[in-house]
Amino acid sequence: MRPLTLRRLFLQCSILVLILLVVVVIAVKFGAVPVSLYALGRDLLHVLSGQRADLSSDYVLIIKNIRLPRILLGIIVGASLSVAGTSFQALLRNPLADPYVLGVSMGASLGSILALIAEPHLSISPALASLLTPLGAFLGAGATIAAVYFLGRREGQIDSATLLLGGVIISSFLSAIIMFLMNTLSGNLRGLSFWLMGDLSTPLQKSAYWFLGIGFLLAAGAIYTTAADLNLLLSGEKEAMHLGVDVPRVRLVVYVAASLLTGLAVSVSGAIGYVGLIVPHAIRFIFGSDHRTLLPTAALGGAIALVFADTLARTIVAPTEVSVGAVTAVVGAPLFIYLLRRRLS
Amino acid sequence: MSAGSAHARHLAEAGRLANEIRLSVEQVSYAYSANPAQAPLFTLEATSFQARPGEIVAILGPNASGKSTLLHLISGALVPLSGRVLLNGFVTQSLTPRTRAQRIAVVQQESALLFPARAWEFVLQGRHSHRRSLRFESEDDVLIAKNALAQVGAADLSDRWMNQISGGEKQRVILARALAQQPLLLLLDEPTLHLDIAAQIGLLDALRRLAAENRYTVVVVTHELNLAAEYADQVVLMQRGRCLRVGPPASIYQRELLEQVFQTPLSVELGSSGRPRVTVLSGT
Amino acid sequence: MKEFARPRLRSAVSAAIAALLSCAALTCAQSAPPVSSASPAFREVTDEVGRTVRLPQPVRRIVSLAPSLTETVYALGLQDRLVGDTDYCDYPADAQKKTKVGGAINPSLEQIVALHPDLVLVTKGLNRLETVHSLDGLGISSYATDPHTVEEIITSSKKLSDVLGVPEAGASVAGEMQRRLADLQQRVGALAAKRVLFVVWTQPLISVGKDTFIADALRRAGAVSIVDSEQGWPQVSLEEVARLQPEFLVFADSHSDSASPAVEMLATLPGWSILDAVSNRRFAVISDAVNRPAPRIVTAIEDLAKQLHPDAFVEKPENGKEKMEKENLPPNQRPALHYHFSPDVLQDRMTTPGGRACAH
Repeated sequence: MRPLTLRRLFLQCSILVLILLVVVVIAVKFGAVPVSLYALGRDLLHVLSGQRADLSSDYVLIIKNIRLPRILLGIIVGASLSVAGTSFQALLRNPLADPYVLGVSMGASLGSILALIAEPHLSISPALASLLTPLGAFLGAGATIAAVYFLGRREGQIDSATLLLGGVIISSFLSAIIMFLMNTLSGNLRGLSFWLMGDLSTPLQKSAYWFLGIGFLLAAGAIYTTAADLNLLLSGEKEAMHLGVDVPRVRLVVYVAASLLTGLAVSVSGAIGYVGLIVPHAIRFIFGSDHRTLLPTAALGGAIALVFADTLARTIVAPTEVSVGAVTAVVGAPLFIYLLRRRLS
Repeated sequence: MSAGSAHARHLAEAGRLANEIRLSVEQVSYAYSANPAQAPLFTLEATSFQARPGEIVAILGPNASGKSTLLHLISGALVPLSGRVLLNGFVTQSLTPRTRAQRIAVVQQESALLFPARAWEFVLQGRHSHRRSLRFESEDDVLIAKNALAQVGAADLSDRWMNQISGGEKQRVILARALAQQPLLLLLDEPTLHLDIAAQIGLLDALRRLAAENRYTVVVVTHELNLAAEYADQVVLMQRGRCLRVGPPASIYQRELLEQVFQTPLSVELGSSGRPRVTVLSGT
Repeated sequence: MKEFARPRLRSAVSAAIAALLSCAALTCAQSAPPVSSASPAFREVTDEVGRTVRLPQPVRRIVSLAPSLTETVYALGLQDRLVGDTDYCDYPADAQKKTKVGGAINPSLEQIVALHPDLVLVTKGLNRLETVHSLDGLGISSYATDPHTVEEIITSSKKLSDVLGVPEAGASVAGEMQRRLADLQQRVGALAAKRVLFVVWTQPLISVGKDTFIADALRRAGAVSIVDSEQGWPQVSLEEVARLQPEFLVFADSHSDSASPAVEMLATLPGWSILDAVSNRRFAVISDAVNRPAPRIVTAIEDLAKQLHPDAFVEKPENGKEKMEKENLPPNQRPALHYHFSPDVLQDRMTTPGGRACAH
């Protein structure tokens, strides 16, 4: 008998945090512009010891203004997608669920398209203008969450099978609307396809990072409070109830929180695929399926995976950038096949 | 508060109320219809009975007599249309799922696991309702789980995978999980359905022993006439959603009554243990 | 009790520490100085989409994010100040030797920053709004053009020359373009405009909208697009085209002299053969300069005019006769036309013209 302890959780998270730090260092070093870590470290020391007022060398500016924000975005988005994927897999009791299965990404895409359409007609400050697309996307995601919720209810509660159906239907419907809009509208919709595949390259304002970070902590924290319940839910909903799980409440909390995580991620980076699907399985494979460790380790695993993929995306054919969604697909699909075979054997 | 002392508290409470009613089912009825506008497909008419600590109650009847519905109403899975269920004076419906799970344990027939689990992990799930939301299992929890497995004679199955043990063994582990909840009330829905005769006897022996030792109130849904007769202190006889009679086996096991309920000719004798014994007569 | 809320607390604390560290790193760059080279004089201009652009005077380092803008920079004689351009900037040949910053839609911000540009040139028809916002956020000035007619291309080039501090060169380029266009107008202005279909892509059939500079270029060449659509890159139905029966099909291709049976293949496609222009082989192929709102477009316009109205250029009878004979040659002797399909067109087919991706 070896029940889960806090120490095991801490150990697993520490390993992953270490790996994440390594990946971050790699991501800082590599890019379109060569960076010398030694010189960077030296400059940092100079500043800390007061020899220089501010870090002013070129590449340091690149790192601070472009690379680090991008890495931070990758961490938050990767963690969000991973936690959302894990949650949906538990909520829908379906190992093939990913964060987008309930239509949130389609809603976000539609929201951002509408924002792009509306942009010329609104007179807003330039600072706000750069936030318009993420804001539109987030609102679109929110509307979709509500719509799927109302579709997915039975007798006043969320029903997993009905929820899945509702999500798929709305996803297809929104997808059709998006295609219609892209076909009939002229205007500045260019590059939307680039965003739709996933793109971490647009730096955001500082306030946006705070919003994302706090949103992630709140939503992921809310899901984590139901971690033990999720373990039992996977044994069967009736049994879970008899063992003390408030099934309707858990379903609602997980649904809303996981959808919000997805909405946050998609509004700033488009629909990056495979992270939310594969990372939970990979982590389960290594660390087990107890959600009390699975959720935090999956979050860290998602951060690692996405920062790594993004680094690849911007270095393989530098200075041209490959869409990060393409990298996650190319790496993710074979990995998924491998995991599937291991699971079946 | 450690789980050990919680158990002691239960015992003390149980001892205090040793001769008092623990479970009171009062005029509980239910109706189930596929469409709210249509007439109900199935109705359970108002049913009442009471049970004390240490008692085994059998809900007996043929298929579709409403036995499982009654059990689910007692467990809190269903909300009664009228009437209420009281456990030690508390209306079970008004309890939170967590509190309810601390007092009522339900043993299902099968258990479909999505992910593989070991027996001890499975039994530990029973401690969920006693744990605060974000705690990990304490040493007490582990002890109680071990204890529960020992009580059903499955201590050697502790490290085995759930999908690799036999039906009878699985049933014992499921029972152990229910015991780990340290409930006041133990509900079982046709527990002997997939078991061979030896396993059936073993299970019911264990139930009788546990009910006596730990002062559980046990309610078993079954259609096995002789098992109910042998082990139950009280029998609730059901037919087509109606409770026909409640009482000790002697008062229930009347030939004409049973023949009418089970639609088959039988003979009722007094067995060697002093309990009624039913023999099914072949031919009309 | 000792384990109460510990896992959650611990994860929250770790996450908070990580977030704080990152924010600390970022806050160091709170006041990031502009990366432009030291030049005290600044000027404010308004670009063609109405933005106020603050740029140093003079502009010494330019990055161009569109092939048309690269060509314009060269036409203005400022190639020495061009420090970076996109992967697709291939004309003139020297442009291919410049430092590349990536694609037009997805340039590498790092690479741009590393080049320390005083000004980045973008065009609304090709580049993304997000790129402009990102550059703003990094303190790099960007100037956007947005020409919709040939006349606007001329004024755009002139305005750009003012912004870049070479008004004389701009006047000269503009003057040359005006002169040649006026000459063209003289020759073909009075003639009946040929009804043409400008083919961007064949399957699905995509043409250009009426508000694009390509449509305007067609008009200048003595042609008129049969497609009357508000969209930039409308998808048109073959039936509608068949009903309208254009006199010519016009293709833009960067390798107009390389061989390919592609155009011949069109004649064999079902549906296409009902077009008179197809069965009579009335094609006009011009260079893909027509796709770029740059000075070189005038050459393409002239070329098209010559192919559509050969009689108007009878000062050189041999030329006209050559062209007519070309048209009437049997299929296997006609100069084979290589029509190279750009895969990017399908993805960006909603772009307004101005940089149809030159992925050759």
